[in-house]
Amino acid sequence: MPDLISYLQFVLAPQMLNGLALGVSVILVALGLTIIFGLLDVINMSHGEFYAVGAFGALALSALGFNYWVLIALVPILMIPIGVLTERFLIRRVYDGGDRHVSTLLLTFGLGMIAEDLLKIVFGPNTHRPENPLPGATEVLGVFIPTYRLFLIAIGAVVIVAVALVVYRTRLGAMVRAAAFDRNMAASLGVRVGWVYSGAFAFGVALAGLAGVLLAPIYSVFPTMGHDFILMAFTVVIVGGMGSIWGVVIAGVLLTQVQAISSLVISPVWADPIVFGVMVLVLMFRPQGIFGRIGHA
Amino acid sequence: MRLNLLTTTTIAMLLASSAYAQETIKIGVLTPLSGTYAGIGQQVRWGIDQSVEEINAAGGIAGRQIELIYEDSEANPAVAVTKAEKLFTVDNVDFLTGTVNSGATLAVGQVADRADKLIATTVSFSDAITGSGCSPNVFRVNARAGQQSVALAAWLKQEKPGAKVYYLGPDYEMGRSTVAAFKERAESVGATSTGEVFAPLDSKDYSQYFGQLRAARPDVLYTSVAGNDTVRLFTQMNDFGVSEGLTILGASGTVTAQNINAIGAAAEGFITGVGYSVLIDSPENKAFTEAFRERNGADPDLYGADSYGLLFAYKAAVEAAGATDTDSVRAALEGLSWETPQGTKTIRAGDHQAMQPMYVVEVKNGQFTIARSIAGEDAIGPDTCDKF
Amino acid sequence: MHDRLDISMRANHVFFGILVIVALVFAAFACFSGDVFYLRLATEALILGGLALSIDILLGFTGLLSLGQALYFGIGAYVSALVLREEPSFWLAMGAAGVSVLLAGIAGGLIANRVRGVYFALITFGMAQVVAKVVYNSRELGASDGLIGIPVIEIPLGLITLSADDPLGFFLLTLVIIALLYSMSAYLLGTPFGRIIIALKANEKRVPYLGYSTWAARMAAYVLAAVIAGLAGALYPMLRGFVSPELLFFATSGDALIMVIVGGAGTLAGAIWGAVILTMLKSVIGSWTEHHLIVIGLIFMSAILFMPKGIVGMLKPFVERNLLRNSARQPKPEPERTAL
Repeated sequence: MPDLISYLQFVLAPQMLNGLALGVSVILVALGLTIIFGLLDVINMSHGEFYAVGAFGALALSALGFNYWVLIALVPILMIPIGVLTERFLIRRVYDGGDRHVSTLLLTFGLGMIAEDLLKIVFGPNTHRPENPLPGATEVLGVFIPTYRLFLIAIGAVVIVAVALVVYRTRLGAMVRAAAFDRNMAASLGVRVGWVYSGAFAFGVALAGLAGVLLAPIYSVFPTMGHDFILMAFTVVIVGGMGSIWGVVIAGVLLTQVQAISSLVISPVWADPIVFGVMVLVLMFRPQGIFGRIGHA
Repeated sequence: MRLNLLTTTTIAMLLASSAYAQETIKIGVLTPLSGTYAGIGQQVRWGIDQSVEEINAAGGIAGRQIELIYEDSEANPAVAVTKAEKLFTVDNVDFLTGTVNSGATLAVGQVADRADKLIATTVSFSDAITGSGCSPNVFRVNARAGQQSVALAAWLKQEKPGAKVYYLGPDYEMGRSTVAAFKERAESVGATSTGEVFAPLDSKDYSQYFGQLRAARPDVLYTSVAGNDTVRLFTQMNDFGVSEGLTILGASGTVTAQNINAIGAAAEGFITGVGYSVLIDSPENKAFTEAFRERNGADPDLYGADSYGLLFAYKAAVEAAGATDTDSVRAALEGLSWETPQGTKTIRAGDHQAMQPMYVVEVKNGQFTIARSIAGEDAIGPDTCDKF
Repeated sequence: MHDRLDISMRANHVFFGILVIVALVFAAFACFSGDVFYLRLATEALILGGLALSIDILLGFTGLLSLGQALYFGIGAYVSALVLREEPSFWLAMGAAGVSVLLAGIAGGLIANRVRGVYFALITFGMAQVVAKVVYNSRELGASDGLIGIPVIEIPLGLITLSADDPLGFFLLTLVIIALLYSMSAYLLGTPFGRIIIALKANEKRVPYLGYSTWAARMAAYVLAAVIAGLAGALYPMLRGFVSPELLFFATSGDALIMVIVGGAGTLAGAIWGAVILTMLKSVIGSWTEHHLIVIGLIFMSAILFMPKGIVGMLKPFVERNLLRNSARQPKPEPERTAL
């Protein structure tokens, strides 16, 4: 009995708590992806590269002397114009005409390739890492967890709630959902659809950048880092339901816990295939995911 | 008058072309210039470029200048093989080097066998390359995994006899075999193994393994992670307080100039067995390091140093053989000894593996300080190559 | 039948025919100049063209984007390699590869065909990643180093025997095999069952209303694509003497996808042309600059933005017009019946 409790306290509980910190990271990346898909029907294969740009941006700006806390707000704001330009000049061109999913997927795939190489040219191939602004560990219910990860869980929760509020409770959010549901109708009601689309894409991209800044101190920064999260993010978006914010949250927490526990109980190598298996099962039996889509019941 | 002009220009052209009449020696460098291993490829390129500049300035090899032809192997053996064939048959290189991952070295070695040309690796450290997978056309001038673990095990025996060791490695062939090799040696010097875990390559979060690690209560942790994985593992161990009271040992590729800045303070106290350190106290190394820093604005690491040393060996072999054809150079390289920033290296004829002094290096204040050194003959291990 | 699809397929044949002629001319030149490298590079381009062909069958004709087709290419390559290491027989290797890919394709199809669109793309992507990881970690399959030491084989072809080491001979053999795969695909897509597959791309929801099973059609298309990819993959170890897990990675699938888009999706011939063009480009770009990712990425994006039909797709209308004119000149064998 004391063995079991000790196992629960020193092995399982920390594992789950860390899974939660990882889950929040994945949710932040996946949120942007689900908004872009749910609102724009655009598959953004370069989402990982925007995440990387956020991290590298934080690196560059902190070298210029900006304080880390400032960067958390500054980097996403700077990514908004990048997102708007990308949407306006690239994505919009393949919008109409054939299969939007396929063409945006392919287009952003090419964009991702270019972005990765550009990052390597500008910053070099080596790894960098901004200093952890909250070193040290705190004790939570007998489990030691680094303070920064607690901060991550906290700020992740704040961001998620803020995003949900904006999308579901504000007039702006309503306009965006209307434009996603029926573009022409929304336009005829006076919604500036063009701006809404650019704004939504930029918002999704800014969220990815924010994730990049927040995760840089613990996951480090290097040109191919975009590949880290992308598969997991897509899995979370699919399982949660493309376009659903709560779906992303629930699926994000669920899948990272599945990964953490199967890594512990079975073997680390099987953790990813198991998560993939969950995705396949969900797709086979409930393809719209747990919560379906924004704008659709 | 016109005839005179014609004659003069003809003579001038003949004179000019005779300056190039001495054919250059072409050397192909097939190394990852993009992708995950681009950082290593960069060090390889810096090292080779510097050595070629020095050799060419001093008159080249037997009076012939070296011409380098670079190709990007993308760390993908399929790409490497295609480009190797191009270098051998279209560019007609006399010699090829630069391959980084073991899979690429083995596959390119096969191409070299079929094209009857020689290659040398300065990075790959899988034992198989000069062991079970050896080939008469493949040479290695860097230390292989076996040499690294001999050095490290000697340190372990002396400093921490009977220690409890836990192993953590990346889950792929290199990661597992490096851990297995060191484990065997550590156990033979009296250490006890308290467990092992293999994390998938490119794991973001190592915190999931800390529970098991703590439960095993080891004195020493041995790891074979590299590159970004090291940065994450070490900084996360630091964050979680796991590294307190733990001595961390690792493979030579675990902490290098490529990632030591990113790891920062978490690398303090890390110990490894490696063939090179910037702080080796010899005139060759000082000259090499100073020139390297000035050219590239960064410190050399083992990849840069080993790549630098290679072409001096090739030069010595060609000049001793008086020819550049494969059989003569191969014969000259076997048993060759030459000076490098790390000391004297000798290529063992039996398996084409270079013997060199090995160093136990400890990271102190972001510097690779030398804790002790081990003679080449003691470190090299047995010749297991039976193909030639 | 001389309907639009028939004309379209004939136009594809024209382009494929041009490719074959160009290939033969190239082979003649290479033979005279004693070249080895370019012949092998061209052979590799054709092998990848087989993979691209399989992607085109799914993308251009069935309307399914598969991001993991390299899975079957890799399985074919590995099975072929394993067989050749034991028993250096060409026919045995090809046969074994074909059978294993058939089974794998059925298994993969059962998983992937329950969904459409981007979900299908992601499932195929995931399947390739998972299997690639398993192969990467399997000692018996050479793990991350792959398998080297595939012997050079003698290929008995009835009257003549080719050596896999002979650049010209193997190139011609690969050309013949790719031509056979192309012809097989073109033929199957021209049959009534093939028309159902094409109907899936046009409007999948409507097909059941016409009385046909979408599931059967999609499985057939998927398994066909898998087999083609696998047979092409089986040739790889014969050419290069080794296999490695990178053959299953997304990079391989992604490259083949770029080939299809640049060449022209839905044209079959475009896939092979795309393979040739991209391989040539990569070889040239690689010698100039190490930033080939940017160049290839730009070309790919330009193709999607400005030339979504691909090169062959853009040129097809001209050929189709000529073919229509020719068929209009001939007297019709029976009066046209208008279908309701």
